[in-house]
Amino acid sequence: MEGEEGEVRRLIERATDSTDPDVDPRLLKAIKSAVRSSNGEVAAAVDVLMEKMKKEHSQVRYLAVLIIDELFMRSKLFRSLFVTNFDHYLSLSVGFRRGQPLPPPTKVASLLRTKSIEFLEKWNISFGFHYRQIRLGFNYLKDVLRFQFPNRLENQARLQREAREREMRTKEILVKKFENLKSNFSTIKGEVQSTLDEMRQCLDIVRIRRDGPSDFIGSGEHDEAELIRCPELQHIREASLKESEKVHENNDNKAIFDVLRDSYKILISRHLVSVQDWMSVLVRVDLDDNRFRDSALKEFIDIRKSLLSVKNECDELGFSINTSGLADEEDDDIIWEEGKIEVQDQESKDGNLVKGKGKATNIEQVKESRNSALVTGKGKAIDCEEATSESEALRSKLLAEAPVMTWGSCLDSWGSTQRDVMANHRGLEVEGHWGRVDYDAVIPAEKIAELNVLASVYKEKPADVRPCLAPLKNGGLCQRRDLKVCPFHGPIVPRDPEGNAMSMNKKAAGEGSSSNEELVRRLTKQAVKNVREREKEEHDMVRSLKKAKLARVREHNEAVLREAALASTVRSQGVGGGEEHVIKAKKPTLASMLRKKVMVKDRLSKKLLNARVTEAAVRQLSQGEEASYREAYPNQW
Amino acid sequence: MWEGFRKRESGEMRPRSFASRVRSGRIASIDLSNRKEVVSPHKGSVNSLQVDLTEGRYLLSGASDGSAAIYDVQRATDYEGGGLIAKHRCLFSVGKHHEHGHKYSVSTVVWYPIDTGLFVTGSLDQHIKVWDTNTTQAVMNFKMPGKVYGTAMSSIATSHMLIAAGSEDVQVRLCDIASGAFTHTLSGHRDGVMTVEWSTSSEWVLVSGGCDGAIRLWDIRRAGCFLVLDQSRSQMGRRPSISESTSKKGMVSQSLPTGHYSSAKSLMHHKKTPLRPGIKQLANLRKNQIVAKGTMVQRIHPGMSSSRSHATAHYGAVTGLRATQDGMYLLSAGLDSRFRLWDIESGCNTLVNFESTRLQSGKAIQMAVAEEASLVFVPCMMSVKVFDIWTGMTSRTLRGHFEAVNCCYYNRQDQELYTGSNDRQILVWSPSIPVIAEVVLPPNPSTLKIRKPL
Repeated sequence: MEGEEGEVRRLIERATDSTDPDVDPRLLKAIKSAVRSSNGEVAAAVDVLMEKMKKEHSQVRYLAVLIIDELFMRSKLFRSLFVTNFDHYLSLSVGFRRGQPLPPPTKVASLLRTKSIEFLEKWNISFGFHYRQIRLGFNYLKDVLRFQFPNRLENQARLQREAREREMRTKEILVKKFENLKSNFSTIKGEVQSTLDEMRQCLDIVRIRRDGPSDFIGSGEHDEAELIRCPELQHIREASLKESEKVHENNDNKAIFDVLRDSYKILISRHLVSVQDWMSVLVRVDLDDNRFRDSALKEFIDIRKSLLSVKNECDELGFSINTSGLADEEDDDIIWEEGKIEVQDQESKDGNLVKGKGKATNIEQVKESRNSALVTGKGKAIDCEEATSESEALRSKLLAEAPVMTWGSCLDSWGSTQRDVMANHRGLEVEGHWGRVDYDAVIPAEKIAELNVLASVYKEKPADVRPCLAPLKNGGLCQRRDLKVCPFHGPIVPRDPEGNAMSMNKKAAGEGSSSNEELVRRLTKQAVKNVREREKEEHDMVRSLKKAKLARVREHNEAVLREAALASTVRSQGVGGGEEHVIKAKKPTLASMLRKKVMVKDRLSKKLLNARVTEAAVRQLSQGEEASYREAYPNQW
Repeated sequence: MWEGFRKRESGEMRPRSFASRVRSGRIASIDLSNRKEVVSPHKGSVNSLQVDLTEGRYLLSGASDGSAAIYDVQRATDYEGGGLIAKHRCLFSVGKHHEHGHKYSVSTVVWYPIDTGLFVTGSLDQHIKVWDTNTTQAVMNFKMPGKVYGTAMSSIATSHMLIAAGSEDVQVRLCDIASGAFTHTLSGHRDGVMTVEWSTSSEWVLVSGGCDGAIRLWDIRRAGCFLVLDQSRSQMGRRPSISESTSKKGMVSQSLPTGHYSSAKSLMHHKKTPLRPGIKQLANLRKNQIVAKGTMVQRIHPGMSSSRSHATAHYGAVTGLRATQDGMYLLSAGLDSRFRLWDIESGCNTLVNFESTRLQSGKAIQMAVAEEASLVFVPCMMSVKVFDIWTGMTSRTLRGHFEAVNCCYYNRQDQELYTGSNDRQILVWSPSIPVIAEVVLPPNPSTLKIRKPL
């Protein structure tokens, strides 16, 4: 018995000695099974849990509360033993007494409070009738202290009510729609039918025109298929044949195509959507008299079928009009333009393009945008564009090669042969001058060339400082730009789009394979290393023994220091210095949760508020004051 | 249990001892009642509780929000949880909204001892009001010179209808319901009077406890107080307990010319019998003692001595007084967190060592005594402690309130305890074994073994 009680104690102690937000489920299971074994166990569990609740650590209390909830919901004996001290438990878990606030850490404390309040409500709902203490505690917290309870039952009822109301409203709306449909069913049907008829007629016309050539192709296909054995070629050919099969728009059938396009647009954007809507309304509406509904539904299904068939026909015809393109045809260009501008900006950033060249790239972009518009099947005439594009291509090529100069007088005589220049070619009046005046003074070409030599100041390339891109907690990537080391995420390494560091080895390998030279260098290095290693080996044998011994000693020392640091105040933690890393790597302990996190503010205050700095500041201020005083009253001291 | 019945049947056991035996057995198992619930309408701490003395049925409560309410503790107003929980809602309450209602906290409530037609409330708004229960109107209003801390009416009085009131003022005033005026102002305390209590053996004797730490006994027929309890005057070893008092009584009555104990006892049950002037003997006894000791000869003149006496009963204010039912002992609680049991006859501290506790400060507390089990219920912060009155040992600690408990009242008839607290609740503590189960089920030896009065 004694040993078993120790078992529960041990289990609970282990379960509560953790920094996790949950009790280890295996431990919880073990506790439950241990408690189930006898009544003495239950009593022991109550004692131990209350003991744990008294610990000055919110995490321990929180875990204890979780265990208590588990046992409370299951064992009657546990409940009856536990409620005798219920007010004490509540003061420890909710912390409603002014003199006894919940212990640190604050985050866990608030969690503890909300959780225990939630549990209290749950207990009150399920066991309140049997335990006056629970009722009392609940009422006290709710009515006297006005704590906010999650109020689960009421919330559920409210949600259900709301859902019901919403359903009623939708039903009403559906019925209204249905009535509406009833009244103008025939007009809707008529409209759709007329569009359909129009389209069918158009399609018929188009089809008639197409019939002749398609026959010809069909007969030819067979012969050539035998000739061309290679499957790839055959495939290409088939594709091209299919392409040619499509009826292309030309001046003859332009009118028909226009009509067809318009009605296709209407068909897709209006009729198909509306028919689908009406169908869904009909499916959802629930009435006593279902005759009209069924018949209407049937008709709609038929209409939809015929609509889809017409649409398919159009599609088959190579008449791939994407609805989005049709919807905003006018806005199309602008949209493309905008997208391209953005791209261009990026390009100019990436590939050191200077602004002056922007014009050329702009032209390119415009062209590109037109091309892409063409790809989407806008079907505009672009012949003239094609003609101009060649000369433009040449120009842009030249522009790409051209050097970029800053604007200046040196550009006046750009490319021209050097000549002598009249010294006074601007007609400066020199009559009034004393002395000899040479009106025809000439500056020799060499001198001019000398003067025109452009001195260029070295301009640093704008450094491309890449962002750190380490994954952040909020899902984003770190956008800090540091040269080598990000203060939060360590050295900056190339990362993939998700922020995972690509391994350096891989990169090195890639580079190595790319350059032969690198490989050779590495091989020689390796060879040298091998020789040296062989020499070293004997040394190492001796040294490694020593090292192992030293490592053991150091490890021991570190462990001792770590313990000391954990046990004593924060200050002594600093003594370790190097150990800090080791501690961080270790599993966080309960004590570490209590330790205050050193924030920026703390660090700053440590620097700015220490005695030396304040003294210095005071001294400086008083000095300044003294000086001004002396200046004001120089004859006093 | 069945043995007891057999003994009673054969006449071996007298009816009263049988009853007290049953009662004490039930009290020993008292616990927070799950089946009975008093729904407090108060929005402030409950300061005072009393069940009427005639029927033992109506509970009166006074609270800090200036309201007083009455509950029927016998019949529940409604049930909850499938008849499992009986809820006793208040029959009516008089609060601030009432035209005669108190403005500030009601500090004390008392039933009129003769019937349930009247009750008295005292408040911090310096008024004492007498209410008609049936019309719920204030029929009388006494303006006191200061905040009223405590009121009391004598349960055995036949010749007067006086409300003793202790207030911020140093004087204890006696308010006469019959005339609507103050009949006495008893001066002697040097500070406010926290609590007053009528003697349960003599209708003329009043006990008052003040903030100066003094407990004074007054004979209202004479001027001044006749006794100041002094904590330094103690008597080694308590006198025989209540259970042995019958034998002791014989002894005492031999030494005294008239057996006023028995008369006092009979008074409680037959209020109509005229009271003999027992207090004279009491004074005589004291005189003899003092003369024998040869100290303080001035005390022979009680009226004179009162003004000179500086003796204190506690080191802090006296916050609670409760006399035992036979009127021989007085239990007092002080802000020094001490309980003292006084032998009223000798005026000595009996040196019963009540286990150390912490007491609420700033308010008068109301204690309760269960004579049959010789238990006393004392509000100690958030719990109610149950002491053995003769040994001072803690027998139970009743926990249930969430804030400091102010008052408790023991209902002798149902063996129930009512407690009122700062958390606005009135809790019912009842024997965990209901009466019916006790009769039907075989006896439970453990509950009966706890106290054996005879």
